[in-house]
Amino acid sequence: MMLRVEGLRKRYSDIEVLRGVDLELREGETKVIMGPSGAGKSTLLKCINLLVRPDSGKIFIDGEEITSKNSDVYKVRQKIGFVFQEFNLFNHLTVMGNVTIGLTKVKGMSKSDALLKAKEVLRAVRIGEELWDRYPAQLSGGQKQRVAIARALAMDPILMLYDEPTSALDPQLSMEVLSVMRELSKKGMTSLVVTHELNFAIEAANSMAVMYEGRIVEEGSPEEVIKNPKTAEARAIFNGRSNYVLV
Amino acid sequence: MPSLLEYIPFLIEGSLWTLSLVALGLSLGLSLGLPIALMKFYGVKLDAYIWFMRGTPLVVLLSLLYWGVFPSFGVELGPFETSVIALGLRSSAYQSQIFLSALNSVDSGQIIAARSIGMRESQVVTYVLLPQALRISLPSWSNEYAIMLKDSSICFALGVMEILTRARYISVATDSALLPYLLAGVLFFSLTHAGTGALEIVYRRVKIKGTLGG
Repeated sequence: MMLRVEGLRKRYSDIEVLRGVDLELREGETKVIMGPSGAGKSTLLKCINLLVRPDSGKIFIDGEEITSKNSDVYKVRQKIGFVFQEFNLFNHLTVMGNVTIGLTKVKGMSKSDALLKAKEVLRAVRIGEELWDRYPAQLSGGQKQRVAIARALAMDPILMLYDEPTSALDPQLSMEVLSVMRELSKKGMTSLVVTHELNFAIEAANSMAVMYEGRIVEEGSPEEVIKNPKTAEARAIFNGRSNYVLV
Repeated sequence: MPSLLEYIPFLIEGSLWTLSLVALGLSLGLSLGLPIALMKFYGVKLDAYIWFMRGTPLVVLLSLLYWGVFPSFGVELGPFETSVIALGLRSSAYQSQIFLSALNSVDSGQIIAARSIGMRESQVVTYVLLPQALRISLPSWSNEYAIMLKDSSICFALGVMEILTRARYISVATDSALLPYLLAGVLFFSLTHAGTGALEIVYRRVKIKGTLGG
């Protein structure tokens, strides 16, 4: 298993956001997580790369328990790519600077090696050479998100986490981003994707989990969960929407 | 009675003292103010220090240090050194506020993104927070230069040979007040606008491309 989550719990003052989450992800698998806002999807992702410390429960990445006291947080985060809803590019750096900074400063790579790696990942997300010297404020939302994906990919992650990567984008720009994500999944990048995009789930994901009030209430193949949801919570999410899926 | 003209070089020389006071005072203020801002940004409480420095008139601080604090600790510091310390300490309080609001205006998502690629907190500060916060703070910082330049004339109280002290000498020596003080005013005015103008040029050069007004 590339990722195993056991009994994960997290409480923020009086709200228990995660109430015992169990999750598994095989190497090369793409799993989509859906659920209403406030279900704990985002907190779950942030726990997985230790941006948020869970209160209890265990997380294993590639067999190694990262929630144990002696695990190196910084090493763990390097192995896990994180893509944010709001892109979160470094505004003072060019496209190239955004992608190389982790390589040179965190991985200690030489500038020339970092450039080579950056060019490779930028091409993979279809960010052309003419954009490499631009600053984030000079890019479209879809370009920003693809650069953010490149920034994560450059670190050679063994797992990618996407937190509603297209929620801040209009449908046209979402397509650009989703098609890049789909390609990465097809190439075997293990991915955990929080999204509301049903088409992406059906076309790119191997499995799907539905989250509700801090728990995973249903799991299965995306098509099965979307078209024949078994739980009332899942039915509430997909009711009526499955008609719009283009398959 | 000597003519005023002969004193002009003497007065202009005073601007070197004024500029030294400001350069050293701003540097001290920066080297204390930036760490204070970072500590406050990460939750360390330093409000008492800032309240004291912001609430005390400079001339009181000067007197307190020169006649009170330093002598009672047996520290022998001249008027110039004392002035630099007083200007620097007070400026550190103001500069810390300037830098703190600049740090706060860097979108917190970028900090989380920096952590997500494995940066340590010191790297987040060095490579993400400071490069942006320092740029953002430049216009307010240039304001701090203008304020300190004019406040440095208060060091006249300790007899530091800056512009105002010299204008007063000239006034006594030539038995005229209008021209010496007018010239002093012109010097302060020119130094203020030369400095803020230069900082404005720097700001335009380092501003992040594509951001507001760019």
